[in-house]
Parts: sequence; C-alpha cells; structure tokens
Amino acid sequence: MSRLGAIHKLWRSIAPRTHSDVEEEFRSTLDSYQEDLIRQGLPEEEAYRKARIDLGRPAFQNEAYRKAIGLRLFEELGGDIRYGLRALRRNPSFTAVAVISLALGIGATTAMFSLIYAVLLHPFPYAGADRIMNPVMINPQFPNEYQYFTRSKAQLDDLRSATPVDSVLGFSGRHMEITADGLPEDIYVTYLTENAESFLGVRPLLGRNIEPSDAEKGGHSVAVLNYRFWQRYFGADLHVIGRTLEMDHTPYTIIGVMPRSFAFNDINGVGDVYLPASLIRAVANGPPAYVPWIKLRPQVTVAAANALLEPLVLEGMKQHSGATAWHLALQPIIEPYQQDLGRTFALLLAGVILLLIIGCANCSILLLARGRTRQHELAIRMAIGASRWRIMRQLLVEALVISCVGAAFGVAASYWLARLPLLLSPDSFPAESVIRINSTVLAFSVTLALLSGTLFGLAPALRLSRNDPARGLPGRQASPVLVPARHRWSILVAAQVTLTLLLLATAGTAIRGFLRLMQTPLGYDPTNVMQLGISLHTHDPAEWSRIQSREARTEYIEQIREKIASVPGVSTVAVGIDATPPVADGQSSFIIDGSSDSEELRARLMLVDQHYFAALGIPLLQGRAWNADENNRGDFIAIVNRAFATRYLSLSNALGRQLRVPDLLPHNRYQAVSAQSVAWRHIIGVVGDARNDGVDQPVEPAIYVPYTASLPAFAQFLVRTQGDPLMSLHSIRAAIASVASDQQISNSASDFNGTFTLSQAIERDAQYSRQRLFSMLFGVFSAMALGLALVGIFSLVAFSVAQRTTEFGIRLALGAPRAHILWIAARIALVSVAAGIVIGLACDTFLGAVLAHWMQNAFAVSSLFASAVLLAFSALLACLLPARRAVVVPPAEALRNE
Amino acid sequence: MTKPVELPQGTLEMLILKAVSLGSLHGYGILLRIQQISGERLEILQGSFYTAIYRLERRGWVKGQWGESENNRRARFYSLTSAGARQLKAETAKWIDMAAVVAGILDKKTDNI
Repeated sequence: MSRLGAIHKLWRSIAPRTHSDVEEEFRSTLDSYQEDLIRQGLPEEEAYRKARIDLGRPAFQNEAYRKAIGLRLFEELGGDIRYGLRALRRNPSFTAVAVISLALGIGATTAMFSLIYAVLLHPFPYAGADRIMNPVMINPQFPNEYQYFTRSKAQLDDLRSATPVDSVLGFSGRHMEITADGLPEDIYVTYLTENAESFLGVRPLLGRNIEPSDAEKGGHSVAVLNYRFWQRYFGADLHVIGRTLEMDHTPYTIIGVMPRSFAFNDINGVGDVYLPASLIRAVANGPPAYVPWIKLRPQVTVAAANALLEPLVLEGMKQHSGATAWHLALQPIIEPYQQDLGRTFALLLAGVILLLIIGCANCSILLLARGRTRQHELAIRMAIGASRWRIMRQLLVEALVISCVGAAFGVAASYWLARLPLLLSPDSFPAESVIRINSTVLAFSVTLALLSGTLFGLAPALRLSRNDPARGLPGRQASPVLVPARHRWSILVAAQVTLTLLLLATAGTAIRGFLRLMQTPLGYDPTNVMQLGISLHTHDPAEWSRIQSREARTEYIEQIREKIASVPGVSTVAVGIDATPPVADGQSSFIIDGSSDSEELRARLMLVDQHYFAALGIPLLQGRAWNADENNRGDFIAIVNRAFATRYLSLSNALGRQLRVPDLLPHNRYQAVSAQSVAWRHIIGVVGDARNDGVDQPVEPAIYVPYTASLPAFAQFLVRTQGDPLMSLHSIRAAIASVASDQQISNSASDFNGTFTLSQAIERDAQYSRQRLFSMLFGVFSAMALGLALVGIFSLVAFSVAQRTTEFGIRLALGAPRAHILWIAARIALVSVAAGIVIGLACDTFLGAVLAHWMQNAFAVSSLFASAVLLAFSALLACLLPARRAVVVPPAEALRNE
Repeated sequence: MTKPVELPQGTLEMLILKAVSLGSLHGYGILLRIQQISGERLEILQGSFYTAIYRLERRGWVKGQWGESENNRRARFYSLTSAGARQLKAETAKWIDMAAVVAGILDKKTDNI
C-alpha cells in the first residue's frame, strides 16, 4: 500500500495538470480581474471584453500550459506519428515496398556491422585482449614465415619478470583418448599454466576455471570443459560439475565449463578439455615446453617490448639451436585475421552501404511520387495556417516511421544474415567471435534508421512543403496536362541505376573469379579421398617405449595402413606427414649438387610413402617411385615435382642429380630420423605438379622424401575409396582398432591432423572460401540491389501514369499513336536509366583496377558488359510494364475522370 | 507620473518568486502584488504571466494548492518551495551583481576610460 502510495505521489509530482484544473484556475483569475474592472466603473459587458483582451481566453489556456511545460512538441510529434502510421496503413503496397527497400539495406548493413564488431573489434573474450601478444620468431630472410616457439617453465618465469610484461600464460596441447567405454574417442587436451583464471579473465559458464591452487602437490586431477565438447559429450548437462572424465585411464574431476565464446585457441587447436599444466608428465627427453602468450603492461608499445624481450628469448634459443639471426616479434593475437579480413570487410561493407543507398533512393522516389497525390491535402493544411516547418516535420516524421519499421525488420533479418559469412568461410574468422545483436549493434542500426530516414525523407519534404497553396487548391488539377517535376526523380533513378551497375559488375567479377578458381586444374584428384589423422601415444610411457624407435614406429604405421587397405571399398591408402593438398606444410631449404653453398634454395618438403602418388592421382613423369624397402630405409632417394625440376634443374636431366635437406634433422624430442636423413639423395623420379600452396597459388617446387626419414609422433593416412570415403569411416576405425585397440583417430574436421575429405580441404582453403564468400554475398547484394532498382523504376512509371491518365486520354482522343503514348509514359524513367548505365560504365572502368586489386581477382570487361545488358533489359521491362497501362486506358473513360 | 518600465526577458519569473516569497498568493494576487510593489510602473504582459507561473511550478520552485480566496472564490494559491527560495536567492544575487556592473560601466565618464 505504501509503495502504491509512493508511486501515486511520484506520478502526481510529474504528471501534467488536467485540462479542467488549468481552465478553472484561469477562469477564477479572469473573474477577479473582471470584478476589479467593474469596481473601477466599467460597464459589465466592457469589463468582460477587456478582461479577455488583457489576459487571453480560457479556451487557449491549456495550450499555453502545455507549451510552457514542454509538452506541446511531444504531443504534436505523437500526432504526426499516429497520422503517419495511419497513412501507411491506408497504402499497404506503398508501405510494403518502402519498408522492404529499407529493411534490406538496414538489415544487410547491420549484419555487416555486427560481423565487424564481433570479428575485428571484439573477437576475443579475454580480459585486456588487445594487450595479449603471440610471440613469434621471424627469419629476416623470409619475414612472412613466422614461427611460434615454446618455452620451458623456468623460461616462462623469466618472461614474467621482464619489465614490459604484465603476465604470461603458457599452454601446450596434446591428443588423448577418452577411455571410459566403446571405441577410444580422440580428445584434444590443452594444458594451461595455473594462472589461466586471472590471465584470461573469462567467467566460466559453470563452476570455475583453473586456479593457482590447482598446481599444488604435482597438480590436481581437475578438468575444465570447452562449451562445444560439453554439449557434444555431456549433452549440455548442467550438473556436470563434480563428475569424472576418464582420459588415458586417468580420472579427472570436472570443475568447470567455459562459455560458448571461449574457444582457446587458434594457434595449436581449440581444446576440448583444459587441464592444469602441472599435470604434464615428461615422457621423452627434456622438460615440458609451452607456447607463451604475453600480456603486456598497459601503455607499453609493441616495439619497446620487442626490443626488451628479444635478448631474453634469443638466449633461451641458443641452447636449442643456433637461431641467432632470428628476430622476436610480438603479434597482437588478432593480427593473423586482421590482415585478410580488413580488406574483405571493407569490400563487403561498401557493398551493403551501396545497397542501403539504393534502398533510400527507392523510398525517396516513392515518397515524391506519393506526394503528388497529397498535394491537395498539404495545400489545405497550409491554407489554414500550417507553417512550412510544420509540414516538413510531418513529412519527415512519416519518413522516419517508415525507416524505423524498416529497421526493425532489418535488425531481425540481420541476425541470420550476419551468420552467413561465418558459415561460408568458417576458417577465415577467429573461432571465438560470436555474432550477437548487442546494444552497440542496436544503437548502430537505430542511428542508421534515423540517418536514412532523414536522408530519403528530406528531399521529398523540402520539395512538397514548398507547395504554393494557391496552385494546389483550385479544382483537383489546375490543368489536365501536368508537367511533372521530373529532374529530382531522374537524378534519383540514375543514381540508383549507377550504383546497381556497380554492384552487379562487382558480383560478376567475383563470380567469374570463383568459377575460374573452380576450373583450375589441381594436379591431383580430390574426389573420394579422405585424410585420417592419428596421434601416437607419447604420453603413456609403456606404449611410447614400444613405438619410440623409428623402425617400430614405421612398422606400426605400416600395419595400420595395410589393415585400412584391406577394408572393402578402399582402393588405395597412402601415408603422409602434413602433406595433404592443397596446402602442404612448411618450406625447407636444401642443397643441390654443384650449387654454391651461399645461396639458399627453398622447396616444400613432402614426407610421404610410395603409395601417395597413386592415391592422389599424381602422374609420374619420369623415372620411378620408390619401393617398400627403400621406403622403410628412408635414405638416399627423393622425388621432385615438375616445378622443382624446371626451376632448379632442367626437365631433361633431373634424374640422377643429388640433393641434401639439412632440415630433416629432428626438431623435437618425439621425432625419429633415419641414420642418413640429411645425407645426399638421388633424384629417382619426377612427378606432375599438384597444388601445394593453396588452390589459386602457383605450384611451389617440392621434394618428396620417404616419410620414414623423419617420423613425428603423428601421421596421416590418405584413403581413396570407391564411394564416399566418410561412409567407410566406421569400418576403417574398426580395422585400426584391430591393430591397436586404443589407437584413436583424430575426430575434429577443423584440425590439421584431423579427419576430412580432400574436397572439404579445398572448401576450407583460404582463397577458395574467400572467393566463394565474395561471389555469394555480392551475388545476393546485387540481386537485392537490382530488385530494389527495378521496383523503384516500376513504381515511378506506374505513379506517373496514374497521375496522367487524363493527359493520355486526351492525347489518344486526339489521335496520338499508341507507340508514342508508350514512349512518353516510359520516357520519365528510360532516359535516366540510360544515363545511369552510362555513368555506371564509366565509374566501373575507373574503379575496375581498384576492385581487382582488392578482390585479388581480374576485373572482367565481359562481366561488366553482361551486367549492363541485364540491367538495361530489366529496366526496360520495369518501364514498359506500367507504361502499358497508359495505352490501354479507353479515352472516354480517361476524360470522364475530369 | 512615473514612466512604465518594460521587463527584460526572464525577469518575470524572478519577480513572481519574490512576490510569492512574501506569502502564498493566487495568480491574480501575484499580478496585483507585483504591480503594487513596483508602484504601478511595471506593465506585465498578461499572456506571458501564466506561462511563467506554469514553468515555475513545473520546475518545482513554486507549489500550487487549491484554496479559498478573500471573496470566497475557489482559487489556486502558490507558495515558494525550498528549491524556489534557493533559486530566488541566487537570482537576486546575480541580478544585483550584474546591475552594479552594468551601471558602473554606463556611469563612467569619457575621460575616466
């Protein structure tokens, strides 16, 4: 009760006084004054008059009151909005076209903005994400090939104590398997140093993150789950905290679940499970090594930090290898994405803004056209005293009502639109960017709505409020042959056509580029081939000792290979170490016989077996492939590709030459190399060029070496099957289990060492997915733009025909040929369409070079021409369809209209 | 006879506050009191008079309450609120200050500048 009373009191204090209250007060004053006047000797009638002259009339007092307390503008605006809504309801087709025009533009722009916001402005959920750096090593000779490096626990502490450093997170990933029941399931585990909680600063969805106390007593067996893993494996169970997850026969207690936006991390794979780093058991030689993330102190520049940290990092390096000439570079964690995405987004944003402008132009045209039918109404309002400002405000408010309704639909649509690029090109974006409509995005779209409403409403408002009531009022139409105010429409239509052509030509270029990319010969046959990754058990000392030697490991891999080959439906199985096209990992330097040592030669080093070429359909051009014995030995032989032979040797005398690959030395402790891996190798064969640097890049020179020359703790099988390879996956897994019951395969399709078909690998290729993204999005944008422009042209002609029915009737009655009528009806838009196309062609030729550079794609004159023809043809249709109505009007009926 | 004075903008509010500060008054009473104090020299624009009262009430500087007038008519009486009193004090100080400065400038003889 008391609360109700308080609310009532509050309302009383802010509510305006009622009409009767104000009027009564004024009346009492008026009466007192009148009595005074009578007392002074005025006759009653005179006093009554004088009081009202001096003080004003009671009827107007309420308006004075509301004006004084600032309510009047508010009320008038409310009236304007109500009136605008009513007018929109009366004209449903007009409203639908206008609202859809804007909804498309605002929706697309909002979607793009929320994408940019999520991906470039706020991609990471971490605290102080802009200060978190990826330290990389850069070889000054090849500055684009940066390398990540690892640090020991002591070295992490050294980094922590350096002045520019706020804190350091160390992490390390490895495959494990879930050993609870059934076929072993692969799981990717990320170990985090125990400061993870404070360094990352991400609030867990459930439970807690890893904390310093978890390091006690050699590390607590606790696990934090990744959101997706939690959903997949635990069915998003809210009571998962405290349950046990058994990995590699060790139970871990689940202490937390991270939120969806947390996908740590992009460098060595998103972990399914996060464990305290103290749990890492050193199995091979040397202590555990971590990839560091460095969070700088605020206000420390990257350059300063680089200079301060470089000696510290390089000193540690010397103990491992002689990498003295390398430089340290701290990379903001967004940098790998920013380089490519900035350009992509600039282009896409330009596209949607063009779309928005076209939509606005449409609304302007519609409002202008409709305004002609409202001249009468507006003239009456002006005649009874509405100011020009009042009329303008009314028209602007109506425009804003349209734009706000459009924005509401647009924002709803943008929710889905913004996901489209992520679906089309998932690998181009940070895994952690989550698209959501937040307050910033909403504020953006509301601003956009107000801006565009003002933009398209202003021209019609200015034009229509200039009406001279004397001209608008008498009769319904002053003269039957009304000369339409054409120039404003013409400019709008021409601008629309120009922009549409621009978008069409861009889409044409993008689609052409994508088609060209799809048709480029790959040099290998990806159909029905699948990669299957396995990780060897390095963390289980018993198992690791069994396969630690090179020979044992080779035999293990060969056994699995043979078992897979015996699965029905499998035709060829090959082994490769990160040699799956279209991108093979890593450049290596090599030395060729007879070349001087001073120049450094580089080629892709492909570690494969002898079945690789058959499995991928790479033709052998000269010489021979190696046999099983040579494969097991691993030494003294190599095969090169055609690009290698032509660049470094000559195609005719490549066979029999010798080369050495010093990089075949072991890089980490899990690697097992053959006795003579870095010795001279004879070139025994030359194979055809298969893409190894991405789908659209020229094939790099490549050296194929038996994989047994340098064996890491993982391998990939390339399986060619007769049908869809994923269909055989289950029987292949069973075959692998028959060799080693706990050998899991890598499940994740996004993992480099995962399981995917080679066709999927092509779709994931950066250039391929970008081109596909461009061609699909610009295809959609330009289709929308074309639709909008056509609707604009159509409605313009339709409105003007409807307006000029009388004129056409008279012309027909006087004997004008129908073709002529058609021409003057369509003329209003046709001329501006033609002008728009000409200007558009000129703009495109000028912009062509810029666009081609930005899209990394040749700008095609043919696609420009095709777009122009398409646009001209459909614009002609949009003009002629409504213009036909002018011709079919019977003259007698048209004149009866008068 | 003394000459009528025209009010500068915004001063009407100040005068109303002053009038009300001497005791609560209804609208017409305020009008009379201002005229009376000024010795009939102020010509108040009738139209703007109520506008000013409404604005003062809206800002919470005066408070309106219905009551009985001296000739037994229902009338709305306005009284000064504490916020209004503060405002009046501030405005008065500002006004006197400004008037002194302006008068000082205008009083200066040419040779003194």
